[in-house]
Amino acid sequence: MFLILNGAPQSIPEDWADETLLSLLREAYGLSGAKFGCGVGICGACTVIVDGVATRSCVVRAGDAQGLTVRTIEGLGSAEALHPVQQAWLAAAVPQCGYCQAGQIMLAVALLEQTPRPSATDVETALDGNLCRCGTYERIRAAIQQAVELS
Amino acid sequence: MRRRDILALAGGGLVALVGAGAAVGALVPVIPRRPLPDLADAVGWIAHRDGRFTLTLPRAEMGQNIATALKQVAVAELGVPWEAVEVELHDTALPRVRATVGSESVMQFAEPLAQACAALRDALAAGRQQGLVEVNPRPFRELRAFQPGGASGTSPEIVHGREIVTGEPLYSADVRLPGMLFGRVLRAPAPVETASRPRRWDIDAALRIPGFVAVVEACGPAIGRARGLGILAERPGVLAAIAEALAVEWDIDKTSRVRDISQVIDIDARLAKGALPHTVLDGTPEPGAWDVDIRLDIPLAAHAPIEPRAAVASWDAGALKVWAGTQDAFYVRDVLADAFKLSTEQVTVQSCRIGGAFGGKTICTVEAEAAALSKAGAVPVKVQWTRAQEFALGFHRPPSSHRVQARVVDGKVTDWGHGQVSSHILFTAAVAPAWMQRGTDLLLGDGGVARGMKAPYELGRAQARYDAERLSVHTGPWRGLGAGPNGLAIESAIDEAALAAGIDPLAFRLAHVSDVRLAGVLRRVAEIAEWGRPPAPSAGLPLRNRTGRGLACGVYKETSYAAVVADVAVTPEGQVKVTKLWCAHDCGLVINPDQVRAQCEGNLVWSIGMVLSDNLPVEAGRVVAETFADAPIPRMSDTPPIVVDLVVGKTTLSGAGETAIVAGPGAIANAIRAATGQRPVRFPIDPAGFALAP
Ligand code: FES
Ligand code: FES
Repeated sequence: MFLILNGAPQSIPEDWADETLLSLLREAYGLSGAKFGCGVGICGACTVIVDGVATRSCVVRAGDAQGLTVRTIEGLGSAEALHPVQQAWLAAAVPQCGYCQAGQIMLAVALLEQTPRPSATDVETALDGNLCRCGTYERIRAAIQQAVELS
Repeated sequence: MRRRDILALAGGGLVALVGAGAAVGALVPVIPRRPLPDLADAVGWIAHRDGRFTLTLPRAEMGQNIATALKQVAVAELGVPWEAVEVELHDTALPRVRATVGSESVMQFAEPLAQACAALRDALAAGRQQGLVEVNPRPFRELRAFQPGGASGTSPEIVHGREIVTGEPLYSADVRLPGMLFGRVLRAPAPVETASRPRRWDIDAALRIPGFVAVVEACGPAIGRARGLGILAERPGVLAAIAEALAVEWDIDKTSRVRDISQVIDIDARLAKGALPHTVLDGTPEPGAWDVDIRLDIPLAAHAPIEPRAAVASWDAGALKVWAGTQDAFYVRDVLADAFKLSTEQVTVQSCRIGGAFGGKTICTVEAEAAALSKAGAVPVKVQWTRAQEFALGFHRPPSSHRVQARVVDGKVTDWGHGQVSSHILFTAAVAPAWMQRGTDLLLGDGGVARGMKAPYELGRAQARYDAERLSVHTGPWRGLGAGPNGLAIESAIDEAALAAGIDPLAFRLAHVSDVRLAGVLRRVAEIAEWGRPPAPSAGLPLRNRTGRGLACGVYKETSYAAVVADVAVTPEGQVKVTKLWCAHDCGLVINPDQVRAQCEGNLVWSIGMVLSDNLPVEAGRVVAETFADAPIPRMSDTPPIVVDLVVGKTTLSGAGETAIVAGPGAIANAIRAATGQRPVRFPIDPAGFALAP
């Protein structure tokens, strides 16, 4: 069993198949960007991109990722060469605690790949399901507009 | 109960509280110690080695981005480039610093840090490279950090910003150690204040689950009176399967009395039993009819950080190391030392960035669970609470019930009465047992419940009194403590008083305010929101919506000020949407304006939650919410454009983390009143109560 993780094939260990994709990423592969917030698909902290679609990795069985392409925040850009969404996030100083932000960023990346010039309604429809208790929503909206200009 | 009886009951406890006498030592819980920062300690915060500076952050970093602000202070005072200073989060090897609470990190820590940096700078200039530097404090105005062109007024890229946007490990749950197992402590589905313990479980069923490692009976201290049963697994996902297979039967104390919260937290029922014991304002209103007489009820609410608390523990030759996302690493260390019979030197707690805390991550819970399971398994163990555990086992904002009364003569309030019944905040039941609370109740009251109860107005013969009742659920500090609910109650009543007087709410407030800084933010917010203009029509919303605009203001901890204007639209069905918020904020000298704004924004989103959604459901004395669906928090679509304007002072440093929450909820409630003609009195509001008659 394997998946394509951030561009490279990765095997899914047999005994991790029944874990969630989130646990597989965090604990088997050590990619801690995606976070556990609720475990039931409500908060979006665990959002990654699976075959181009923003996906809540806490409700995906690891074994079901067999053969799929999974992108996590670690594969987006490096500290020296940030993805435009990451740049915009820093420029708008979006993060407060930061815990929800990997999920927000991956959702924004997926949105912009599908809709390069999203309207305010597009943004709200796409991101409304990702919770941020620190209340950074206004800055997320601003950062997405900045990212549109940067790309 | 007669007063003398209370004294007799509390007698043993009081001695322990003030003296921690040996006779009752074993019964005394470990109490957080809160020393003020001291210059001698500040030396350990900043160090120079091989041309580089290390700032060991004496605060917990939980999203207030204090690491950034204090680095700004250090960089400016040292006179070095931004890159020359490395920030590290502290562990408990640092001399004890008080918990990161109360919005006081800039207020209490910026100046000692600058003093230490100034001393270090001078020592380096004098050619010294080794040893400890003595700090001789210099006058505030000589500190470069606080002079024009110093630390204040700039907003560099936030510390940890790059790590956050690239997904680098920062939080306690991100820690991975070789051989690490995953743990959980199961507890009875019962109120935390009811004694409970595991009686029986199906070990054979658990043994059949691949990845099961062990059941651990010695799984750390009780939470409240709930004793647990620990489990260890090779992978995190196995924990839920083990919990189900074990089908634990619990012994739950049937004799314990669970009082219905709505009956206990009922200000009228409480007043009917006699006067409230604790006084915040001691005037004596004249008897007679009131012009304003409203009752407000605000429920239990969760902090609901997106990060459920987590810890990783590891033992090595009898010494314990724990990685934790805590607001008080030293208190966690002390509790762990006590629980595992270690000296404080044998325990190290490493602070990690916290994924939201808001006052809720100030006690020791998951850390002790991880430590116990790690000890039992003789391997490192990670424990992260489930969302349901966060709700069930954490402490929460207490429910409160208020009666606020005002008499208005010739446009001025002449008499004011505010009575409140709530539950403990500073003396949270999560730390203080009942006997100790009886002592604190008698001697001290609870400053957390009282916070913000002193209305910031000249109100003639003004009285404010409260009582705190112990509940079956744990309550404690939550952003702003009592100041959020008290502000909502006071600002609702002041608005009603303005209506009764027939005076514009802004003019009415200004006529009762003597504090120039409070008047300043009121005037400023009126300016930026163009107070007096009707609220903007609600673009894109149905035409039959009613719109309204509301104003409120407040002071937090006598040191920082906020005034807020809210616009709302209310649908015919009574659904409220906040369509715009303006906030004027004065916390004196500002180090990082962008992060002060961020704190205002956060407080305003919390204000929306306070009025429209915050409510943690309780049944039979225990929290029954399991997911965010049961206890929703504001979403992007609930959040309108927000305009924040900072009134910046020159010298005084104060805080911003909890200020705007004293005004935001009142402004929104007052806007709903303006839109609908109805005063919101039960929170969160029920749309049905604001629907148009069909
Ligand atoms: S952790 Fe996956 S949606 Fe909350
Ligand atoms: S930044 Fe803290 S939860 Fe979003």
